[in-house]
Amino acid sequence: MITREDQIRQVLAELDGHIAAVEASIAVLTTLSAGGEALEDEGPR
Amino acid sequence: MRALTDVTSETLRRWRESQGWDVPRMARELRKAAKVSGEDVAAHHGLVKMISQWERGNRAPRERYRLLYLKIFKDSLGDLSHGMGLATDFAIRLAEVRSRAAGLPDSGEIRTLEASALARPRKTMTPAEIRALAAEAIAHLHKVADKLAELSALLADPEPGEGKP
Repeated sequence: MITREDQIRQVLAELDGHIAAVEASIAVLTTLSAGGEALEDEGPR
Repeated sequence: MRALTDVTSETLRRWRESQGWDVPRMARELRKAAKVSGEDVAAHHGLVKMISQWERGNRAPRERYRLLYLKIFKDSLGDLSHGMGLATDFAIRLAEVRSRAAGLPDSGEIRTLEASALARPRKTMTPAEIRALAAEAIAHLHKVADKLAELSALLADPEPGEGKP
């Protein structure tokens, strides 16, 4: 049985993920708007 | 139950009153906690005014002040969260996530950043990618609002039959 606290933890985890996604996008946009370049994905060198 | 859903006003007053502190004492405790961690905060009289405004809900405290509150009331949160049926660490985590959510820019600010990024020539990202990134950020921002509303509903309305086997 799913308890209320389980439900809250689930929503909290999803919320955490969405906040992290916004923060990551904002970091890239801020870097770009400040004149920097976004980091490219690291691939084999 | 409302206390945890309104961290910026009623909760702050309840936390203070739970210690039997008046507002000037609360201001002294905030300054003391800030001093321990080497942070700068407003002067005593300024803090007294700010605390009154926070507790009336006229203004929301900035993140550093929220974290100072958490630091001060970490021990007593156990009692408060017990009354709400939540574990202490959980109550603190909840407050921290809500604080992070409150610090996010709104969609207008994201659009401004997008326009600023588009105004400069890029080697690593195309304009389409920048637009997609901003759109994705705004989509996640809407999800944050949805999840906050869902969370508030869960915290405000105990499930039917809660506490029954």
